[in-house]
Amino acid sequence: MIKFSDVSLIYPNSTTTVLENLTLEISEGELVLVIGPTGAGKSSLLRLINGLVPHHTGGILAGDISVDGFSTREVKPGGLAHLIGIVGQNPINGFVADTVEEELAFAMEAMNLPSETMRKRVEEVLDLLSLAPLRSRTIATLSGGEQQRVAIASALVMHPKVLVLDEPTSALDPIAAEEVLSILHRLVHDLSLTVVIAEHKLERVIGFADRILYINGDGSTVIGKPEEIMKRSTIAPPIVHLARALGLEEVGLSVRDLRRKTQSLRESTPLSISPTYTPSPFAVIEIESLTLAYGTKLALDSINTTIFDNEIVAIMGRNGAGKSSLLRAISGVNVNQTGTVSVHALNPKNIHGKLRRQSIGYIPQEPSDLLYAQSVSKECELADKDNQIQAGTTYSLLAQLVPGISLNTHPRDLSEGQRLGLALSVVLSANPKVLVLDEPTRGLDYEAKKSLTRILLEFAREFNRCVVIATHDVELVAELASRVIFIADGEIVADGPTVEVLLSSPAFAPQVAKVMAPQPWLSVSDVIAAIEGSS
Amino acid sequence: MAMAISVAHVHRVVFAIASVGVMGVIVLVQRENVPWAQSFDLTLKVALWILLIRTFIGVSIGVPIPGTTLFTLPRIYLPEWMPGIRVGGPVTSERLSSALTEGLIICAIIIIFGAAASLTSPHRLLRVLPIFMYEFGVSVVIATSVLPQLVTSVARIRQAQLLRGQSLKGLASYRRLAIPLLEESLARSLELAAAMDSRGYGLHRKHTRYRPIQWRLSDSLIVLSGLLIMGLA
Repeated sequence: MIKFSDVSLIYPNSTTTVLENLTLEISEGELVLVIGPTGAGKSSLLRLINGLVPHHTGGILAGDISVDGFSTREVKPGGLAHLIGIVGQNPINGFVADTVEEELAFAMEAMNLPSETMRKRVEEVLDLLSLAPLRSRTIATLSGGEQQRVAIASALVMHPKVLVLDEPTSALDPIAAEEVLSILHRLVHDLSLTVVIAEHKLERVIGFADRILYINGDGSTVIGKPEEIMKRSTIAPPIVHLARALGLEEVGLSVRDLRRKTQSLRESTPLSISPTYTPSPFAVIEIESLTLAYGTKLALDSINTTIFDNEIVAIMGRNGAGKSSLLRAISGVNVNQTGTVSVHALNPKNIHGKLRRQSIGYIPQEPSDLLYAQSVSKECELADKDNQIQAGTTYSLLAQLVPGISLNTHPRDLSEGQRLGLALSVVLSANPKVLVLDEPTRGLDYEAKKSLTRILLEFAREFNRCVVIATHDVELVAELASRVIFIADGEIVADGPTVEVLLSSPAFAPQVAKVMAPQPWLSVSDVIAAIEGSS
Repeated sequence: MAMAISVAHVHRVVFAIASVGVMGVIVLVQRENVPWAQSFDLTLKVALWILLIRTFIGVSIGVPIPGTTLFTLPRIYLPEWMPGIRVGGPVTSERLSSALTEGLIICAIIIIFGAAASLTSPHRLLRVLPIFMYEFGVSVVIATSVLPQLVTSVARIRQAQLLRGQSLKGLASYRRLAIPLLEESLARSLELAAAMDSRGYGLHRKHTRYRPIQWRLSDSLIVLSGLLIMGLA
């Protein structure tokens, strides 16, 4: 179906080749997963398939790519629209119309299909992706998972033979991600659709993949069955790390496989008791009967909670449950809220300037919102000047967090992880008493996530500070948080130590915990510590 | 539309105020909870500002109209090469009322257009356009849909800057806002262009229409009554 013959790709003004002599054939009905570190060229590879690279972005391409017999050299992306459906990283940026139905019809209108065919296909695809109740909704009001489904639907109405998705689950909560992936799985099996996916959160997709294409970033690539690739790959889901840590010869890719292999281990080790958890007695953030409404919809419904010193609190919940609203209330930027919020006995609404920087550090969903200078060095200088600290402090902080960033780089040219690091060091340079992060792991690879975990743990332990983090990333929470607050529909439904909250809900349990249940182990290091402790 | 033309034509304050009232009621009743519904409030605000500024300029600058003097503003004498223009001086009630009338009529027209815009989405308008205007229509629609996105981006970036402890006043704050905003809108339009391209937009000269809106008897009646109002005016 898709044929890469001896493909090389290089961007002008860049010293590294993205791809070098890649020869690859993807047959009909195959689901191929593309993995690699951030910035290695996964998106470029996906966009090569329908010719957006190089027709749209520039770049020098050697070799030939053909899809169902059409060469992308001769046919422009528009000419392949009936054959390839492509769903970008942020579907909201690619929507043209404003209601679901019109969005679905857009591509068909452009292809000049008769009106009756359009009606039929729209109905079909609405049913296929269970979008029928949303058909006349405004797209801007849909949740992330629903938008992702609309984007997939608007690609599927064209009856493509190939579907290309760039990080389809990165912005979704575990349940919405599961929905999207099982739909893809069904399409592959029922319609023999060929699917190519790039994704960072391997634990979510690896079970669905037929083959994996590993892009190194230096031009070299490896392709193979998931089991083979996972034997050596540094990019691997926690389940593979667990198998390696236990010294198992074969790596199982599903929870079921690994549970069978570790049965004796689980049973031979006495059931460990999770360490009792005692927060420090100093309350930092106190929230009392906090209510927030957008129009008639309640985003937060009389929330009461106290967050203590030295705590790392993860706020979890589905898309649109009110996580970001809660974080904004802690930071004091909501307009029409009732109830009281205090941070170190101050109302966060009334603090400004330097005092604010020293009280609350906030990293928004888009870290680049905080950055406005023309280069990394200017950004660091500005932070030094703002906080009246010794020149160079911010940069040395940055060098600790993410080593190897050149001072003259423009913040926009940094990778996602590097940009987060820069925003984090700018915020930390003021040494805030509370650090608040909104969805920091979108688009981060495992390596970047690991260093984020390390930084946050150090910050909380060494400086005795508290960190509040909203995230969908169960594995991050397992490694990082000491306490989890679970929000649904604006109300707190669970609040307690990470082990308790995560283990009580199957959808939000991390992979290691699923394998090791009933043992209360959340991460690979927990397992190792428990085994060593018992022997 | 007919209403706006008649307001301009009749030139009577009572009629202008009445039509604004009617529009207000229609908007309140018919309004759906959609992004473009906010445009009525916006035009209302803009219209009020225009009224204020126009009245102020109207009474303070221009040719005096004789009549009862209400109060006297300090007069500023202009150099001799600008004869005939008077700044300040006595304000007569006739002058005030004429400035107010003109201002109100302009406002009424703006508000009527705002009401029309708030009741229908530009996309819906596109579907009743004749087919030869489709290309033009799509570009207009995309341009108009960028605006609300821009507004949300501005709000988001300002909030983030505020949380970094930056003040939102002064020239520097606009610089801090403009750079992330510009980057974001550039990236977004590139992404939109790529998405449209890969969905086959602009490939065929002709386009079909999904669910075209039918011209009904009630539509003819509305147009007819509009013409009637205009005729009466």
